[in-house]
Amino acid sequence: MIGTSDLPTLALIDERQLADSSRFWRRVSRWKGWPTTAKWLGFFAIAMIYVPLVWLAVMSISQSPLSGIPYPLTTANYAALAADSRWIPPLQVSLVMSTLVAIVCMVIATMVGRSITRMRRPGGVLLLTLLPLFVPGLTMGAALFIFLRTMLGLKMGYWSIFLAQLVWALPFALLLVLVIASRFDLRLLEAAEDLGATPWRRFWDIEMPILRPGVFGAGVFGFLLSFNELLRSLFLRGVETTMPIYNWAMAASQQSQVPIIFSLATIILVVTLPVMGVFFWFLFVKLDRS
Amino acid sequence: MPNGQSALATPTMERAPAAGQAAGAVPDREGPARQGNVQPMLEVIDAVHAYGDVVALDNVTVTAAPGEFLTILGESGSGKTTLLRLISGLEKPYKIGALRLNGVDVSEVPAFSRNCTTVFQNYALFPHMTVGANVEYGLRVRGVPPDERRQRAQDALKLVRLADKYDRRIHQLSGGERQRVALARALVPRPAILLLDEPLGALDEKLRVDMQVELMEIHKSLGMTFVYITHSQEEALTMSDRIILMRKGRIEQAGTPHEIFDRPVSRFVAGFMGVENLMEATLVGLDGDDALVEVDGQRMAGAWSGRTRPAVGDKVVVGMRAERLHIADRPPQGPGLNVLPGRLDSAIYKGKYLDRTVLTEVGPIKVRLWDSSSSTAEQGFVWWKKADCMVMSA
Repeated sequence: MIGTSDLPTLALIDERQLADSSRFWRRVSRWKGWPTTAKWLGFFAIAMIYVPLVWLAVMSISQSPLSGIPYPLTTANYAALAADSRWIPPLQVSLVMSTLVAIVCMVIATMVGRSITRMRRPGGVLLLTLLPLFVPGLTMGAALFIFLRTMLGLKMGYWSIFLAQLVWALPFALLLVLVIASRFDLRLLEAAEDLGATPWRRFWDIEMPILRPGVFGAGVFGFLLSFNELLRSLFLRGVETTMPIYNWAMAASQQSQVPIIFSLATIILVVTLPVMGVFFWFLFVKLDRS
Repeated sequence: MPNGQSALATPTMERAPAAGQAAGAVPDREGPARQGNVQPMLEVIDAVHAYGDVVALDNVTVTAAPGEFLTILGESGSGKTTLLRLISGLEKPYKIGALRLNGVDVSEVPAFSRNCTTVFQNYALFPHMTVGANVEYGLRVRGVPPDERRQRAQDALKLVRLADKYDRRIHQLSGGERQRVALARALVPRPAILLLDEPLGALDEKLRVDMQVELMEIHKSLGMTFVYITHSQEEALTMSDRIILMRKGRIEQAGTPHEIFDRPVSRFVAGFMGVENLMEATLVGLDGDDALVEVDGQRMAGAWSGRTRPAVGDKVVVGMRAERLHIADRPPQGPGLNVLPGRLDSAIYKGKYLDRTVLTEVGPIKVRLWDSSSSTAEQGFVWWKKADCMVMSA
């Protein structure tokens, strides 16, 4: 019994008295190699992400990228890209479209995210709004196409691409807002109200600045998801073309266009990565400090 | 007091808008508790509120005079925080007769239009703003120009002795400093009433005692009406002009600290105010306030402080504070003394004093001895004055 005179006074736990399975797991958890294993797995994951990207960039300056041998080096691919102007309209379409998706994502995710955190039982609504994350792109694209084209008889176009991309990006955006909004202390709004702030001011002065990382994150993810979206856009494009559709068509058509796809992808990468880097730095480091 | 108070110390703030405030307007401190014909600053009439089936406020009526320091005392769940939230407007009452601030009915006015501010228990400081921006916020939403805003915020920070912390971030402050920022933030808009919701609850003992004194000084220098919520009888006794003791959504007793401490109306009040010895008794006689009661066959003389006057033979409660009891080796002689023989039992050493239990015929009685050498005998007598023997409603 606890506190009786035969209270054990050993300094260490007597492992011989433990069950076999418990002894086994104690030995496993005592293994010194765990941190090293974790480190190497991490290196491997990072390598798997960056090596193909670097390889792509290298191949974009190689004479025959499909051969897999970098040499001889050349800038001919970039010259061909500059000479060709067919890829510019799809890029413009994608940029505008993704910006719109990003903005609409930010607005909707903020409004919905705020209300979900104020609900007494958010479980059901949360599940419904996040479930589209797990619907395969082909299924969603086909379903939307059948619904809009066959059932409602609408003509596909930019608007339907926009819709499909929004449906795709919104759950992610919502998730990002929810991560921040669920930690937001609603009592701060009461304090602001108590000090005389109208509902509108409470939102802009107190809630928005605190939710900002989540809202901007929602925008960034909305932009990226829209900019890369192919599956749903294919169904709902009508006769329009976005950047991923163009790239896909070019890469799939076995033309001599393939080398410029390498250069194009590299340019987009070189522009996107630093922009995102600076953006995130600004969002989480700079704003946090000021 | 620090001299940063001039910009704040303007009584009846909302009536006289800030246009060129006369610096150093000395607030009128001619007895705030004197109600007379003075327009009450706060009137809550017949407030009823419930959360689901739980009644939080059951027909509560509270008024506060201008400049009064009113404390609402009660344990958690007594409805005191609900009452505060009704006054600030953060909670809408289920039913209310009237809610008037300085004579104006505000029961339908949203919280952001009411001229009262709250110091929250958790401070609720805005984490993304500096100390200065937090303190200025109430002025910012009122459209006060930046220069004046800054000046008034700095004055308020000086008042709470944080003048050098204007540019700090909230997370760089200690608990006590946050508490004072919250106080400054609530003071700066010059509310008609300052509501304080257990503001010292999260501070450690030493800091709490210091802050009590500071709060009293600020109250005195500003002449503002304070409504202070606490569960600590010690805080209530130290600071208040008047105390309202609440229990289960009702007012159990209202009065000055003296009245509540020395003349509790019921067993609950006495227990809450720390009366150690409470016994059931039967009333034997009542003449004026002089009561004669019987506990287990032992007669005691005491002073009646209960609610409605009981009849002879009614059940009452008799209470004695441990520090008003004495121990003697032989029975003391004198009129108006209650004496019980008893055996000294266990003692608890408390540093400044010694708590001893005396076993008597009416049960164990706690006695607080300030002089530890007063008695060492096994058998002895415990005695107390009639005036220190409180007789109240059961």
